[in-house]
Amino acid sequence: MKGNIQKRIVKDKQMYLLLFPVILFFIIWHYIPMWGARIAFQDVMYIGANKWAGLRHFKMLFSSPVFLKVFMNTIIISSMKMFLIFPLPIILAFMLNEVTSHGFRKSVQSVIYLPHFLSWVVIAGLFISLLASPDGAVNKVRIFFHIKPIAYMTSTSHIRWVFVFSEIWRSIGWDSILYIAAINSIAPALYEAATIDGATPFQQAMNITFPAIVPTIVTVFILNLGFFMNAGFDQVFNMMNDAVINHVDIIDTYVYRVGLKQGNYSLGTAAGLFKGIIGLFLILSTDKLSRKISGEGVW
Amino acid sequence: MSVKKHGIGHFLIILLLSMGAIILVYPLYNQLIISLTGTDYISRASGTTIIPYGFTLSTYKTVLAIPKVARGVFNSIFITAVGLVINIVFTSMGAYVLTKRDLVGRNFFITLIVITMIFEGGLIPDYFLMRKLHLLNSYWSVILYKAINPYYLIILMRFFDQVPSSLIEAARIDGLNETKILFKIVIPVSVAGIATVSLFYGVFHWNEYFRAMIYLTDELKFPLQVVLRELLISAEKASFIGSMNYLKVTAAAQLDIKAIKAALIIISIVPILAFYPFVLKYFVKGRLEGSVKE
Repeated sequence: MKGNIQKRIVKDKQMYLLLFPVILFFIIWHYIPMWGARIAFQDVMYIGANKWAGLRHFKMLFSSPVFLKVFMNTIIISSMKMFLIFPLPIILAFMLNEVTSHGFRKSVQSVIYLPHFLSWVVIAGLFISLLASPDGAVNKVRIFFHIKPIAYMTSTSHIRWVFVFSEIWRSIGWDSILYIAAINSIAPALYEAATIDGATPFQQAMNITFPAIVPTIVTVFILNLGFFMNAGFDQVFNMMNDAVINHVDIIDTYVYRVGLKQGNYSLGTAAGLFKGIIGLFLILSTDKLSRKISGEGVW
Repeated sequence: MSVKKHGIGHFLIILLLSMGAIILVYPLYNQLIISLTGTDYISRASGTTIIPYGFTLSTYKTVLAIPKVARGVFNSIFITAVGLVINIVFTSMGAYVLTKRDLVGRNFFITLIVITMIFEGGLIPDYFLMRKLHLLNSYWSVILYKAINPYYLIILMRFFDQVPSSLIEAARIDGLNETKILFKIVIPVSVAGIATVSLFYGVFHWNEYFRAMIYLTDELKFPLQVVLRELLISAEKASFIGSMNYLKVTAAAQLDIKAIKAALIIISIVPILAFYPFVLKYFVKGRLEGSVKE
């Protein structure tokens, strides 16, 4: 057996040669930074070797009111997005399924997928302009109806909703693709039989379409749960401003601002590591959950 | 499916979808109109302007002449083009080898790659590594750190898996080495897969701003997204177009900030809009491939 393996390795030596730069890439750009994250347990010295600091930076982090706030913001913003947005692409897929005109459906689809390909810098630019007070489209409409305009981007009670709506704007179409595909794979015979039995389109949607896509819904939900700690760095980073920072600062933006920009490298890395470990735990447990429910893992 | 009646429900759905689609494109449309509005009318242009009064393309001409913007366009194209070539070469090398099911150590290598999808060292260790490698302020920092995206590697593996093994075996018998088999046979017959993955990488590079912002220090190396971000955040015309331009009262100094922003937003999404209608099917395919499990 051993000789056999050796023979196979020798036979595939060109394969390993091709794989070598690929593995080297992952070691350099992924595994070395993982090892580098040990500065969370060290004091960074400008001269000489770093000094061991144990859990001091983590203690500092957890006793910091700012980090507590940041942690809560991450959970609040992520929950808002997760639970409020989740049903929308499903509803959209149902609506598209009811459209009889092929051309109309294709046109709507190609329009609603587009925002997914725009960067958050551009989207932030669009929303800042859309929500500007008093010149943005939204406030223009409010003024037209004699309602007081609101400076949404700098309003602490509105900014998180701006996140929710801009996220919907960007991803509702793209996220509906999986559901549309699941609906398309339902056998047409089921609908034909139901129509003969006199089922209304609504009854058909509830009794045929919905049960058929439940597995997809469960899989997507579990997958989202695994990435719960990612509250959306690019979005928050590009839409935040000093007026609302206390309400929108999330762990990722904290790592950049406090860690990298203000030079608290160990503290910042500790915050990132803390988030990474929670994320790892979430992904591994959702993977287990997924295996239990559908017999298939997330990976 | 074809036996549905066109009742009131159907009409309401069509209405809702049409309105939704219009709301989705409106912010983009509005920026396009503002960017095309003539100088004399721009002060009155707002979020509800739907016709470009005093239509002009001069805003674009002036904005593209601002050194930072012109360089930004060049930098973005350069980073996207070079990055893409590197992405495709290395991703397909990895995907080709790891598609071979009887490769000794295959599971180990795949696990090694999958781990990087669920855990990372983080921003600060990444930055330190870049500094140690003396790549700060080099285009290579932005190009190399994501030379292989593990998600796209797995998508490409699914495409390579569909290449008939008889084709590869025949080539081996003909005496082609593995590199030649990959580049002369596997890649050419996997056009759809390569297209899908290229598009994802292309969009990624074109939209990249954060790493460029922290790794690059020289303003003239900034890609367009960083330039755009600077304008949106700083929102100060004088600092954006450069004090030299401002003092000389060039065309840029006379532009309204609204128009500069709008034009820059449109310029930065033109490449995406230009490709989008033709390549949408590949994106959708990639989305579906990426979600199907091993």
